[in-house]
Amino acid sequence: MLRRVLVAVAMVMAMAAPAAGQTDAEWQKVIAAARKEGRLVLYTASIGSPFYKEVARTFEAKYGIRVEALEARASEIRERVRIEQAAGRFIADVHHNGATTTWLMQQEGALQPHGGVPNARNVMPPYEADDVRLPSDVTSFVILINRTMVKEADEPKSWKDMLDPKWTGKILADDMRALGGGAVFFAVTHDLFGKAFHEKLAAQKLVFSRDLRNNERRTARGEYPLYFPFVLAYYTQIKNLPVKVVIPDEGRLYVRFDLAMLKNAPHPNAARLFMHHFLEVESQLVYANAGYSPVVKGVLERSSPDMRPFLATKAMGTTVPERQTEMLELAKQLYK
Amino acid sequence: MESAALQRRSDVAVDAGGLPRRLAVAFAGLFRGGCPLGMVLLIAALGFLSLYPMGMLLYGSLHSAPPGLAGEYNLDGYAALATTENLIVLANTVGISFVKTALSLALAILLAWIVARTDTPARGTLEVLITLPFFIPPILTATAWGMLGNAQVGTINLVWRWLTGVEWPIIDVFSYGGVIWHMMQYSTPFIFLFVVDAFRAMDPALEESSRMSRATRGQTFWRITFALMLPVTTSAFILSFIRGIEAFESPVFFGTPVGIEVLTTKIYALINHQSQPQYQSATAMGFAVMVLMFLLVAWQWRMLGGRSFTTVTGKGYAPNVTQLGWKRWITFAICIAFFVATVALPVGQLLLSSFFQFFGFYQLDMLTLEHYRGVWNNRDFWAAFANTMLLGVCGATATMALGAIVAYVTTRTRWHGRRLIDVLAWLPWMMPGMVLGIGFLWGFAMLPGGIPIYGTLWALLLAYIALGTPVAVRVTSSAYAQISNDIEECSRVHGASWWQTLWRILVALAWPAFAVGWVLTFFGIMRELSASILLYAPGSEVLSVVMLKMWTGGKPEEVSVIGLFMLVLVLLFRWVQLRLIKKRISTL
Repeated sequence: MLRRVLVAVAMVMAMAAPAAGQTDAEWQKVIAAARKEGRLVLYTASIGSPFYKEVARTFEAKYGIRVEALEARASEIRERVRIEQAAGRFIADVHHNGATTTWLMQQEGALQPHGGVPNARNVMPPYEADDVRLPSDVTSFVILINRTMVKEADEPKSWKDMLDPKWTGKILADDMRALGGGAVFFAVTHDLFGKAFHEKLAAQKLVFSRDLRNNERRTARGEYPLYFPFVLAYYTQIKNLPVKVVIPDEGRLYVRFDLAMLKNAPHPNAARLFMHHFLEVESQLVYANAGYSPVVKGVLERSSPDMRPFLATKAMGTTVPERQTEMLELAKQLYK
Repeated sequence: MESAALQRRSDVAVDAGGLPRRLAVAFAGLFRGGCPLGMVLLIAALGFLSLYPMGMLLYGSLHSAPPGLAGEYNLDGYAALATTENLIVLANTVGISFVKTALSLALAILLAWIVARTDTPARGTLEVLITLPFFIPPILTATAWGMLGNAQVGTINLVWRWLTGVEWPIIDVFSYGGVIWHMMQYSTPFIFLFVVDAFRAMDPALEESSRMSRATRGQTFWRITFALMLPVTTSAFILSFIRGIEAFESPVFFGTPVGIEVLTTKIYALINHQSQPQYQSATAMGFAVMVLMFLLVAWQWRMLGGRSFTTVTGKGYAPNVTQLGWKRWITFAICIAFFVATVALPVGQLLLSSFFQFFGFYQLDMLTLEHYRGVWNNRDFWAAFANTMLLGVCGATATMALGAIVAYVTTRTRWHGRRLIDVLAWLPWMMPGMVLGIGFLWGFAMLPGGIPIYGTLWALLLAYIALGTPVAVRVTSSAYAQISNDIEECSRVHGASWWQTLWRILVALAWPAFAVGWVLTFFGIMRELSASILLYAPGSEVLSVVMLKMWTGGKPEEVSVIGLFMLVLVLLFRWVQLRLIKKRISTL
C-alpha cells in the first residue's frame, strides 16, 4: 500500500515538474510564438462533436490563432498520421483521440513531448498527464432503459442484474468484440466479475449493434428495453424521449480522450497553447455540462445541476491499452 | 489506312475552326498510327488512377507492415484467408449478392420493358419515380426501414398486428431477407437505368421478323429482345453483382445485429475493430475479392466475344410500343407498387420525421422546423455542398469523357492495348471501396512533395474519376455495342472527321446513355464516403463526410433533411435529362 502511495506521489510530482518549473515569462514567450505561428491543425477522432469546436472557438477568440480541424474515426486518424509522417508530410499539430489509440501511436513514435503546459498541474486523479499525453475529456458509459417498458422496481441496480433471465433476448449492446464502449465494458467487467459473468451474459442473447446513435433511438422507440454501454454525454440530446439513465452501484465505466503533440508539428507553440487552453476550467465546463467528466480540478462543482449527480458517481474503471488485443480476442471467443 | 483517314479528316476539321474543335482534333491526332501516343497516355492515365493505388495495396497485402513501416515480405495475409469462418463469410456474401442481383435484374427488366415498350399510362413520370431509390443515401433508407420493419415495434408489424390480432411479425428487416431487400432498392433502379435505353434503342424490325416467322411473343422476347440486350444486361448484372459483394451499409445495418457477416463487414472489422489494424489481412481479402470478380468479368468477355449485338442501324425506325389494352393498368400498378415500397414508404417516414424533434416520435408538442433551420444555418454543410457540387460536375464530366474514350477504343477499334485499357478501367470497381480508399491514401501521400495532390481537392477528384470510370465505360460501351459500324463508316465516307463522326454519330446516338452515366457518376460522387473520409483535408470537406459527422453527432433528423434535399436535386436532374436533353437529341 505504502509503495503504491509513494509511486502515486512520485508520478504527480513528475507530472507537475515541467509546469511548475516554467516561469510566467517563459510561458508568455510561448504565447507570443504561438500568435506568430497564427494557426494550428487539429486531428480529432471526436467526430461530429460540437464540444471541441466550442473550445476551438474560444481559443481563436482569445488568442487570434486559427484552428483547422480534421475529424475522422480513430483508426482513420491514426493511419493518416502514420502515412503522412512516413511520407515526410508533417501537416497536423495536435492529436485528439482515445487513450488506447494515443498510447499505441506513442509506441509507434508518432508523438513528441509537448514541452510543458501550465494547466497540466490541475489534472486530477484518476487521470494522469505526462510529458507527451494530456487527458482532455472523459466519456462515461452507463445503462439506458426505456421508461415505458421497464418498471422502476425492475431497473437494474448492478451490472450483474443484466443476467436476470427476464432480459434474455431483450438487451441491445455495443459490440464487445470491437474497439469502443463495448470493449471497455468487457475489459473492466471481466477483471471485476470474472469470465463466468460473461459466459452467463453471452447466454442472454445480446443483440450487438455499432450504430451507437441509432441504438439509443431504438431503445427509446421500444425495440429493446435495455441498452448498454450507453454514452452518458448523449443523454442531453435525448432526455425528452421516454428513456432513463441508470448508473449501477459499481459505478460507471469510462474511457479517456488524450491530447498530444504530433511529431515535427509545424506549429508547436500554437499546439502547446491550445492544449493548455483545453485544460482551462471554462473549456472543461463545456464538456462537463454536456456529460463528459472533467479532468481538472474546480470544474465539477461549477457544472450544470442536471449533469453533476451523474458525474459525481464512482468511476468504475477503464481499459488497459497493453491488454486490449488480449481482451478483444477473449470477447470474440465468448460472444460468437 | 484507318489512321491515315483519321489524319485527313482531322485536317479538314482544323479548317472548320473553333478552339474546342482544334483541341479535339489535336486529341484525335494523338491516336495516329494504330498504336499511338494517345494510347500510351490513356494507359498512363488509367494506370495512375487504378494500378498505382492497387500497387500500394498489393504491397500492403504482401508486407507485414503498411507502407512506411519496417517489416518483411510474406504471404501471411493470404494464408489467414483460408479458414472455415472466411469460407462461410464468402458463401454468405456471394449468396446474398447473387440472389439480390438476380431478383433485381428480373424486376428491372420488367420495369424497363413496361416503361420503354408498352403504352402504360404516365410512363415518363414512372421512369423518374422508379429511379429515385438509387439516389437516396442508404443510411437513411436503412434507418427508415429499421423503423418500418423491425419485428418488435415496426410500423408495418404494428399495423399487421392491429389488422389481424396475431402476435407474430409479418416482416423482420434484421434478417437475410432484410439485407437483400435493402440492397435491391439500390440495384433495381441501377440496372433499370442501364437497360431502359437499350430497350428504346431496339429496332423493332428484328422482333417483327421473329413474329413473322411464327414465333410467339414470349419466344420473341427471349430469343430476340433479351438476346440482343445481352451486353447491357450482363454488364448491368456484373456491375450490380460486384456492387453487391462490396455493399456495406445493408449488411452492417440489418445483418450484423443477427450474426450475418459478409466480406465488407469482415474487412471493416479488420481495419477498425482491432487495437492494431490488420491492413495485411484486409488488403489480401480485397485482392481475393478482386480475383473472383475478375473471373466473372472474363466470363462476360468470353460469352460476348465475337458476337454482334447491333440494334441501331442506318435504317430509320420507330420504337415498337406494345398495346396492352386494359392490362396497361396492371403494368401501371406494378410500377406504382415498386415506387410505394421503395420510395414512398421510407421517404415518407423520413419526410414526416424531419418535421418532428425525433425520428419516429410523432407527438404534436414535438413538431418543429429546427432541423431545416439547422441545415440552413450550418456553414459546414454549405461549404461541403459547394465542394461536392464542384467535384460532382467536374468529376462526372471528366469521368464520362474518359469513359467514352475508353469505351470507344475498346469497342470500336482494333488497336493494340485495347484489352489492357478495358482491364485497367475495370479494376477500381473490383476492389471493395473501403480498401481502395486506403490505396488512394497511401498512393497520394507517397507522391513526391512537388506533386500537389495530397490534401487538396485534386486527391478527391482523381479518386472519384477512378471510382466512376468503370460505370462510365460500361454505360457507354453497352450503348456503342448497339450502334452499327455502317453509320460510322457512312459518316466518314461523306467526309466527316474523326471528331465529327464521334460527336455527330456516336455521341448523338449514345447521348441518353451518356446522360444516364453522368447522373450515375454525379450522384456516386455525392454519396462516396470510403475514399472521401481518408482524403479530405480541412477546407475540402464533402457532403458525405459532413453527413457522417452529423450522423455520429446524433443528428439523424438533419441528415434526413439533407437526404430529402438530395432527392429534390435528383428530380431536377432527371427532369433536365429526360426533357431538355431528349429535345436536344431530336435536333442533332
